[in-house]
Amino acid sequence: MSQDFFEFFCPVKIVSGHKALEHIPFELEVRGAARPLLISDAGVVGAGLVDTVSRALNAGAVVVRPLFDAVPPDSSMASVRAAVTAYRNEDCDSIIAIGGGSVMDTAKAVNILATEGGEDLPRFAGANNLNRPLKPFIAIPTTAGTGSEVTSVSIIKDEQSGTKMPFMSQFLLPDVAVLDPRTTLKLPAMITAATALDALTHACEAFTCLAKNPLSDAYASAAIKRVAQSLIPVLDTPEDASGRLDLALAATMAGIAFSNSMVGLVHALGHNVGAVAGVHHGVCMGILLPHVLQYNLAARQQEIGEMLLYLSGPDTYANTPPAERASLAISRIKQIKNEAHARCGLPRNLAETGKLKKDDLPRIATMSLDDGSIIFNPVEAGYEDALAILERAWA
Amino acid sequence: MNQQAKAAPRVAHADVGLSTAYRLQRIYVRLMMWLVGRLLQASSAVDPVVRSEVAQLPAGFGFAMRVRSGGPGFAMREQAGQLRVQGARDLRPPDLSFDFKHLTHAFLVLGFVEGTATAFARDRMSVDGNPSAGMKIVRCLNRMESVVLPRFVARRALKEYPSIGLGEKLAMAARIYARLLIQLAGGK
Repeated sequence: MSQDFFEFFCPVKIVSGHKALEHIPFELEVRGAARPLLISDAGVVGAGLVDTVSRALNAGAVVVRPLFDAVPPDSSMASVRAAVTAYRNEDCDSIIAIGGGSVMDTAKAVNILATEGGEDLPRFAGANNLNRPLKPFIAIPTTAGTGSEVTSVSIIKDEQSGTKMPFMSQFLLPDVAVLDPRTTLKLPAMITAATALDALTHACEAFTCLAKNPLSDAYASAAIKRVAQSLIPVLDTPEDASGRLDLALAATMAGIAFSNSMVGLVHALGHNVGAVAGVHHGVCMGILLPHVLQYNLAARQQEIGEMLLYLSGPDTYANTPPAERASLAISRIKQIKNEAHARCGLPRNLAETGKLKKDDLPRIATMSLDDGSIIFNPVEAGYEDALAILERAWA
Repeated sequence: MNQQAKAAPRVAHADVGLSTAYRLQRIYVRLMMWLVGRLLQASSAVDPVVRSEVAQLPAGFGFAMRVRSGGPGFAMREQAGQLRVQGARDLRPPDLSFDFKHLTHAFLVLGFVEGTATAFARDRMSVDGNPSAGMKIVRCLNRMESVVLPRFVARRALKEYPSIGLGEKLAMAARIYARLLIQLAGGK
């Protein structure tokens, strides 16, 4: 279903492919920048990915400035301030973020203070509280899932209040997102599967929820197709650089899709499964996606049915009666989950995560009703509905 | 240069060129903003469903629904477990705001042409503030609409009309409208 009004925005330049990292010096130069601060975390450094990026920068005669590698798993106000201090002490003029969602969120917040000056980050919290472009910012995702390299949001934890502070502005978007298969080549199988299912969920929710629009549909459908085609082959052959790049592209395209058409009930539930039990976000998404699609089936029969084309290809789509396509699309997603489970032990249900008690489900259902994503779900969901979905996803 | 400056035309009045339809929309939106705020205040006093949502808001929580660029709107604040419409002298910034980007967008929602969730999905408004509290306010608005509006109108405003019996609906609507009259008469 197309809407009669929508907005779509994505000014991020995508630099994608083999040796894409080697293009970074050019991208800095055309933006008048020469002294980037590298922001990353210990895991990414340990995997040697920062060295790979540094070599690409050195080859382009860019002097590698200091590395800030102390980003915690949950982006924090303290780490943002420490990175800003490094930025100022070394007279940097741009930012390169190398990592997953937390590193991206930190880098976006660092860019606010690096540009606006001062120490008062909370002043810019909320929606649209920035009114000018920030310093040149290049994002290099090292997981293929979050899509943070193309989203205009940053979430920073305030250690003092214990709350998570959201920042939303088009100026937070990176100038360039660099997708190079070398950055995801060493990703463990479990993380590869979980992050790919995160991307698949972004795309499926973008394609089926209330804010879908023709442009986000184009990105979402392309992302669904790539995850369906490449995830299992990559799990079988982890060094498959083309498959890795396909998954990275899928994550970016899904990120563009959902940042323009939002997500729905899978995320409303998944955010809170993660908050209560610390289950990996991508694992939550993979578990909950088929159950929520089933819940939305009556209202989104046509859209979910169309997804079969991208999930299973034109032959299967053409040979399936229209009335059966939606159910088959959901079955195909379950099949991908099961195949991933067979290869890397990816949990197929909430019980298999081993981090959750069944007694937690009512609390998660209650919390999910206050998640902003729920308003974009095509079908209204109350407490009983949310609980029923969680119970179906339990085992 | 001076002659040119002297010959410069006067700035036209801002309303020049506005159509009659737009002026009528503006009157309607102003009236509905006034009414929605007061009905929500009445609901928060007598409807246990709305009261339970309000009870979970932070003490003194304030929110506003308005049309950008100085258009019509209303502001409310939690006081002693109820939502109360704030007067013009309440200058504290709201904790949460729903700002319609244009008066016509507000007309679509308040005229029940477009549902609240659809308006969010179509970027008709910007939301600033705590999303969790925002969902509680949306549920309060949905509940109020399902009770005080005729079913055929409420179904256009809501994603799904709730399972509420006619007797319960009429009894609660009567209590809310009675409370509204008491408020208008100066009672709390």
